[in-house]
Amino acid sequence: MSPDFSSLVHWILFLPLGAAAFSALFLRRQGALAAGLSTATAFTIAGLALKLLLQAPGDVTWHIELARLGEVSLGFGYLIDANARLMLFVVSFVAAWIHLFSVGYMQADGARGRFFAGLSIFMFAILGIVVADNLLMTFIFWELVGFSSYMLIAHYFDKDFAAAASKKAFITNRIGDLGFILGIALCLHLYGTLDFVELQKHAAAAKMVPVAVGALLMCGFLGKSAQFPLHVWLTDAMAGPTPVSALIHAATMVAAGVYFMARVSFLLAPEVLQWMAISGAGMAALAGLCALAQTDIKKSLAYSTLAHLGIMGCALGLGHPELAVLHMAMHAFFKATLFLGAGSVIHGCHHEQDMLKMGGLLKKMPLTAATFIAATLSNCAVPFLAGWYSKDAILEAAWHGHHTAAFAFLAVAALATCLYSGRMIRLVFLGEANSEAAAHAHESPWTMTLPITVLGLVFAVGAGFAAPFLIPASALQVVSPALAEMHFSFTAPSTIVGLLALALGFGGALKFYSLFRGVDALQKLSPRTYALLEHRWMDGLYRWWIDSVQRRLAEFIAFLDLLLINGIAVRWIAGGATAALGHMTGRTFHRGQTRGFALWIVIGSLLLVGYLLAR
Amino acid sequence: MDSLSTLNANLLTASVILPLALGLCLLAGRLLPPSWVSALALLGFAFPATVTLWYLLPYSGSFDALVKLRVHDFWPCTLGLNGVSAPLFAMTALVGLAAGLKALTQEVEARPTYLGLILFMFSGTLGVFATEHIIGFYFFHEFALIPTFILTLFWGGEGRRSAAMQMAVYLTVGAMLSLAGILIAMQTANLTRDNATFEELFKALSAPDVQLPVATGALTLFGLGTLASLFPFHSWAAPGYAAAPTPVSMLHAGALKKFGLYGIVMVAAASMHIGEGALGQWFLWCGLGNVVLVGLICLAQRDLKQLLAWSSVAHMGPVFLGLWVGTSRGSAAGIDAAIFLMVAHGLSCAALFLLANAVRTRTGTYRFEELGGLASRAPILAGFFIAATMASIGLPGFGNFWGEIGVFLALRAEPLWLQALVASTVVISAIYALRAVANVFFGPASAHLEERATQAPFGDLGFTERLAAAILLGASLTIGFVPSLITERTNADAQGIAAAARRAVVPATPVTAPAVAPTPSAR
Repeated sequence: MSPDFSSLVHWILFLPLGAAAFSALFLRRQGALAAGLSTATAFTIAGLALKLLLQAPGDVTWHIELARLGEVSLGFGYLIDANARLMLFVVSFVAAWIHLFSVGYMQADGARGRFFAGLSIFMFAILGIVVADNLLMTFIFWELVGFSSYMLIAHYFDKDFAAAASKKAFITNRIGDLGFILGIALCLHLYGTLDFVELQKHAAAAKMVPVAVGALLMCGFLGKSAQFPLHVWLTDAMAGPTPVSALIHAATMVAAGVYFMARVSFLLAPEVLQWMAISGAGMAALAGLCALAQTDIKKSLAYSTLAHLGIMGCALGLGHPELAVLHMAMHAFFKATLFLGAGSVIHGCHHEQDMLKMGGLLKKMPLTAATFIAATLSNCAVPFLAGWYSKDAILEAAWHGHHTAAFAFLAVAALATCLYSGRMIRLVFLGEANSEAAAHAHESPWTMTLPITVLGLVFAVGAGFAAPFLIPASALQVVSPALAEMHFSFTAPSTIVGLLALALGFGGALKFYSLFRGVDALQKLSPRTYALLEHRWMDGLYRWWIDSVQRRLAEFIAFLDLLLINGIAVRWIAGGATAALGHMTGRTFHRGQTRGFALWIVIGSLLLVGYLLAR
Repeated sequence: MDSLSTLNANLLTASVILPLALGLCLLAGRLLPPSWVSALALLGFAFPATVTLWYLLPYSGSFDALVKLRVHDFWPCTLGLNGVSAPLFAMTALVGLAAGLKALTQEVEARPTYLGLILFMFSGTLGVFATEHIIGFYFFHEFALIPTFILTLFWGGEGRRSAAMQMAVYLTVGAMLSLAGILIAMQTANLTRDNATFEELFKALSAPDVQLPVATGALTLFGLGTLASLFPFHSWAAPGYAAAPTPVSMLHAGALKKFGLYGIVMVAAASMHIGEGALGQWFLWCGLGNVVLVGLICLAQRDLKQLLAWSSVAHMGPVFLGLWVGTSRGSAAGIDAAIFLMVAHGLSCAALFLLANAVRTRTGTYRFEELGGLASRAPILAGFFIAATMASIGLPGFGNFWGEIGVFLALRAEPLWLQALVASTVVISAIYALRAVANVFFGPASAHLEERATQAPFGDLGFTERLAAAILLGASLTIGFVPSLITERTNADAQGIAAAARRAVVPATPVTAPAVAPTPSAR
């Protein structure tokens, strides 16, 4: 529509690809330069995305045909609608600050060139998903996101756990993508197009969309957004450097699934929505509780991310994609802050990640502590902080939609969130230091504290409340439909549940986890409950599948191939053929006399050629 | 013929002849000083790629002119390129260059002979795709196969004898069977040896009154299928590639194997009813065997080169399925995607064989249990290997993606279980490929590697190997980013073949009005 803005999108999309290619080719050993290039690119993109957010009138669209395979046209184009603009801004803004944080965090790393090239590739991929105007292009960037996530999880590739985690993440995502591919093929078959706008027209005209379309497309979301039963990779993905966990495995990549589902929400049949609502809410409750049985600060946060993704999934299922996107945005701010804060803590404690060995960091790392606590409160949905606006609205939506089960699960999730948040604050920042590393902790450099301050204080706390003041009116129309649905009433069920959870959960956790020092109170008092929450049931199931089914099946088939096809059938036929070719050649064969053998081939081939020419 | 066309035609002829002539020089190479040997071989390996680059430039008429290019009166056949063979020819030129660069770095016995034979093989493979003539097509194939056997037999690795023997039997039988089928078709179409070009055969068989014997399609399909390692006629392939010297594996699995597929596209697909009835069912199930069963066999491999060899068989599955849907449903997308995947697989598969050998020369082993942690010592090798792996499992950005996704989309009207089985390749291939990467490059250094590094210290990927890998992956990225480079060449032919296949499936459709499918757009 507007050529100006589509060229702006070109820049936003392709700048990071250029930066990644340049770093990978020329800056492999110049870590500092690569870091500078990548970070500058990220801030430029954030600026451009802000410009787009504030100035672009209406939807920006642009499209070309990349190629034509037979009757199928492979298209590439942009569709920047309200959701896309918000998402573009959130992604690029959060990413820019995380880039800056990484400059400090990865200072001593020997492979910064690779790391920052990976971050830039990731930016290219995620921005591609945001701007894509058709399913195929979404899938292309979807796969690229999976790849960059793989590379970044494998950053410390000489560690076995990183090698295993990267592989697991990629393969689990691919299982989801299998369904996604089938969904794309089904859309093309049913509607003859993959374009979002066209699809929406068709869906509206058809009134009813087959369940299979939504169910298959949802598979991609299950993988990328770590939804049950494909959620198992996310906690392992914490093997990557902390900024990666913040950017990819908390703020953006996992949110891409939510964004995508919102984009194709018109293709989701009621049955699909029902499943998403229940499984999302259920996972939110379960993952929140599991976070209580983690001692690794990053793993605990990863479970928290799972819980929030469940909440977003539930919002989608309740038929409120705009609320899901809003929560995705708010979550991006406070979870990025939490992860970066955790990174700062880990960096300060000389790479100690065990929360039981921390403690008393409030005094030693005041800035980190303040922002972490602020973001935690936002995470717990303290009224008028960012997290409250979106999470409360989703609870409210469940209540008003008469979705009792979802509401109950979400209430448990809210309580669990407050519990693990209180536990985290208590173990990490309050009390006394529980190890040498924590006793000698120091505050991080400004490149790390500035991003967490900006993201934490300004956005995690104020994004919702300050939205009318911080974000100009033209941008607000993006979120205002979502904001308008909320009820600011202290008698609303969601508010009552929220406040109760806050008081009981947060307060209780602070008190409960003060009981013992250096050990987890729950583990001490009820080892069984702790073990139950700690045990990863789905992982066990998958391990059983791989070891006992998949591997044995593969070996069995390989054996059959060797025995039946290669062994009996071929030897028998080849033996017969050899015998028919005559005694002499047969003998040469069996003796394996190479010269005679080569001669045989030459003679045979010459005969063949001679026949052909003479015919 | 204007002067530019003459130049283009002569360059095409020279691309096929020059490697052959230089190969002959090298066979007499004991008289040549070593530096001459390398220089001559390099010239032979690089010339076709240079010509291909020239063809891609706008000054040459940009390949499009070539699609109609004919070189008359060249014994024993007419040379020329068509929309399907032009991309395959270009791919072969690049794979041959990379294989040649690899061969030049190897220290082998009787080096001039070794290089000369590889040049023969290269010339023959180029000839396969540069001929318009069916008999020439077979001639060049045999011409390329003979050095392949000899090279495997004398310069191969473990198990080379039985592998070469098995390969010889299979490939000879496969070629004979398919030739028998094609000869029957030629007979039916009243073609003689002299005018039996692909185009003439296509025209003649498309005539409404031509009735082919049922067996023709079966002979041709399974004969050519054997050469392209169609399940269950694949037993020769994995041991054959694994035992062959690396440049030979690259050329064979990457380029020469596409002979069978190209033959199916050009001869069988349009009018031999290979997608219909019982034969079509067999074709379908065999192709699924490649995807699922061979895919599972890949999971059971414990040796890097064996894995690559098997996965090269498994990756043929989607190509067969694309051809199947192209012929049974008359889907041009299926044909187009299959050709795309043939080209892209040639590049990625050759790159993987090349890089796996770089692993072997450094560590002395292909066995997973002895490997591990190589990335710390050879980061560039690791980077290239991961890129090639990603290309082979269809990561967007590399050419293979368009081929695979194209096949999946072409199958869109099929039952869901069938689509799911075919698409399961994205999961199965990811499992075995990433497992290989993790086993070889990630994790702490293996005991074997530590020991080896102290005994025979090794460096990262050398310049020549890097160049060879960069050529292959660069080409794959190029067609990945600009897929129209391939599809603009193949589209018209794919449409024609698909239309002919549709007529063959539904003979009632009048021949004069080629049915054009409704064109759904991904816009």
